[in-house]
Amino acid sequence: MHTRRDFLRTTLGASALLSLGPAARSALGASATAASSRQSDRDTVLVVVQLTGGNDGLNTLVPYGDDEYGRSRTTLRLPANELHKIDSLLAFHPRMGAFMRLYHEGHLGVVQGVGGVDSERDHDRAMRVWHTARVEAPTTCQTGWLGRVADGLWDPSRADSSAVFVGSIGRPFGLNAQNVVIPCIRSAEDLAIRQASVQLTAQTQRNAAAGDADGALLEFLRHSTRDAHAKSERIESAIESAVSTAEYPLFGLAGHFRTVAQLIRADLGIRIFFTELGGGGIGGFDNHANQLGNHCALLHQLAESTAAFVDDLRRDGTLDRVLLMTFSEFGRTVKENGRRGTGHGAAAPVFLAGGKLKGGVIGSLPSLTDLVDGAPKSHTDFRRVYATVLDQWLGVDSRTVLGGRFEPLDILAV
Amino acid sequence: MVAQTTTRADPDWAWAAYEPDAERPWNLRQAGHLYRRAAFGADWTQLQRALTDGPQRTVDRLLTPQTDVDAFDCKYDQFESIAGGSVGGLRAWWLRRMIETPHPLQEKMMLFWHGHFATSAAGLKDPRLMEQHIRLLRRHSLGSFSDLLAAISQDPATLTWLGADVNRKAVPNTAFAEPLMETFTLGPGVCTETDVREAARAFTGWFVLRGQLRYIPREHDEGVKHVLGAEGDLAAEDIVRIVLEQPATAGWIVRKLYRWLINEADEPPDALVAPLAKSFAEDYSISRLVETMLRSNLFFSPAAYRQRIKCPVEFAVGIVHAMEGVVSTTELADDIAGLGQDLCHPPTVKGWAGGQYWINAATIARRCNLSSALLQGDEPYRDKLDPWAVARRHGCTTPELVSQWVRDLFVQGDLQSNVREVLWANVRDDSEGALRDLAQAVAALPEFNLA
Repeated sequence: MHTRRDFLRTTLGASALLSLGPAARSALGASATAASSRQSDRDTVLVVVQLTGGNDGLNTLVPYGDDEYGRSRTTLRLPANELHKIDSLLAFHPRMGAFMRLYHEGHLGVVQGVGGVDSERDHDRAMRVWHTARVEAPTTCQTGWLGRVADGLWDPSRADSSAVFVGSIGRPFGLNAQNVVIPCIRSAEDLAIRQASVQLTAQTQRNAAAGDADGALLEFLRHSTRDAHAKSERIESAIESAVSTAEYPLFGLAGHFRTVAQLIRADLGIRIFFTELGGGGIGGFDNHANQLGNHCALLHQLAESTAAFVDDLRRDGTLDRVLLMTFSEFGRTVKENGRRGTGHGAAAPVFLAGGKLKGGVIGSLPSLTDLVDGAPKSHTDFRRVYATVLDQWLGVDSRTVLGGRFEPLDILAV
Repeated sequence: MVAQTTTRADPDWAWAAYEPDAERPWNLRQAGHLYRRAAFGADWTQLQRALTDGPQRTVDRLLTPQTDVDAFDCKYDQFESIAGGSVGGLRAWWLRRMIETPHPLQEKMMLFWHGHFATSAAGLKDPRLMEQHIRLLRRHSLGSFSDLLAAISQDPATLTWLGADVNRKAVPNTAFAEPLMETFTLGPGVCTETDVREAARAFTGWFVLRGQLRYIPREHDEGVKHVLGAEGDLAAEDIVRIVLEQPATAGWIVRKLYRWLINEADEPPDALVAPLAKSFAEDYSISRLVETMLRSNLFFSPAAYRQRIKCPVEFAVGIVHAMEGVVSTTELADDIAGLGQDLCHPPTVKGWAGGQYWINAATIARRCNLSSALLQGDEPYRDKLDPWAVARRHGCTTPELVSQWVRDLFVQGDLQSNVREVLWANVRDDSEGALRDLAQAVAALPEFNLA
């Protein structure tokens, strides 16, 4: 296992170590492993999980205590005795036992009634609203909200990639950045220098001494190249150390989470991970017909994968640095559509997981009778969730990212 | 060599044609530099010929190749059309052109304009529009900037991608007027929001319908508009003319081209920009501007040498071209996209920010892995590139000669002495494997990532 000290030694050289301030030196003196020793604000990590297709929030966090739910869902109604009940009104879907456990442990929270533009029922346009966070002009806005964050976090002295997409679909627009390059990967190895290419290459680069008067650009490249080699080694060891310990179910999403956990362990300076469930083929959340079985399988996958991820991070001692957040482009209609499915809706719950949550259910259940085109209305602008995450978790000014101030939610214990 | 920094450079000296002398000799380093900027790097034959010809004759040939470029382009246009219907095919054929073209400066300038008039195929329903756009860039890449701008203002791909395909009289659309004025011509902070809104009125009546540009007269706002001091019933072509008459336009383009051809690390002082901008504004001849820069003292000075980070296309195409082979450019386009430069999909209308933004730990790792796959003959490129055969072809028969040749070809000897020692110590034999290892190690050096 490489320590942060090793990292600094390889990337900066001994002289740079001496030039750091006293606070930094004492932090380096601690011999704890990099991952567990770092608690500063800079090191928080956000994991965004996109549920592609429009998740049926009403069958995820189920308002079983509301008679209107039972009346509207004639075939999709979930049997009350199988639900994981939070209180007399709300319960998790029968296959989301793992969420219930996380909820009891205080590692899961829910924000109800969150929405983008309630009247927008087109997948691409609604998704674009969430990705750009520009409600007025989502189509002409050319950057994603997380792309803007990554641009803002860029620091040439570190040359980290501060955001990464982990998944098998094309990179979501939310990560479209003006300046920085945001990698798309399927596994942690995708960020590493392949072993086959290392030997002579690494040897030459170890010998590349700093300090020649060759100009700032070359010095920048030398520094970044040494850094890339050091990080590559840490990725390799993070992958090896993870194989024996962590147990993940055999779901695609669980695999993505395993990758994220490995990369957090490797301590690469990545602040934002974006991953996805349901896109890139059949079987997503967009269930206009025969919703029950498919939705069931997806929620099971979501809950089990998230729980495995949280457990893995907890074992690593990094859970307190990580916040996971789900979103979907819209919820679904209250009434089913006669084909045992539901139509595109509006408000839906956002799920949060991590070690620094207040937990519980935030916000009230939107009315199931006062509807907008058949769907529950949102009472919480999605940008309030974003603003909370940006200001209180990532430490990034939400106003510059969102182009305005949005009232934060009281969801984080930070 | 005397360090002539840009801030102290005398414009007359800077833009005068470079004449080699004892203090600033013409050598392999300068030849390599010229080919990195005006092309996608040189192969061994090009380097040797440049050494014989000297700087000015080499620039002549880069500007006006003696080969039949039209025949080459015509042949590739046909390949492109057959492969058409997919943006993937378009990217692949463009990369292949960059590798094989007899006129690399044309492709290099296209890449510049692709970043300047950054148009993405994302959101275009018909990939043929992107094909037309790419051809438009090729046709004008070294021609007249005013013709290029006029063509862009009528280009269905550009208008559609910007969301400027609908320009109704009742709802003037600034989606084209804004980037036209702030990104394509004047640069930021020159025109006002009112100028943009008024210009948008001039573009009313223009639509892209089923991929075709259409003018619908009843949708044109015939009222008086005020744009940058001009007024009248201005039409689309008037706006193009008005922005070209603004002195800011030539300055903005010169600065941008300066970053592309000369130095991206330091902003050039106004004194250096002014004479080129003045001359460019006279007829907007792109080739004359490029020619002035490429022939200049400044270009062949330390103020320009290795003062740019290779964009991913330059990095990858440079390796393939130097190895005198061709690989699957469909795969190469994907790998280059993974380095941050997805051809035909610039991130925003401002193009690729480039420079230091190209570099992070992930992209370094990927540059390393890509050069390894290309030079070691790994998947997906297999043994399409054969450094061994190329070295033999150029008469390198001993390990010492091979080692020298690799370093001269890839970095023209620009290595730190201790790195050179490591490389030297590792030339264990003149086996094919040893040569591949050596080439790969050199291509992974920080020096090789500088243009």
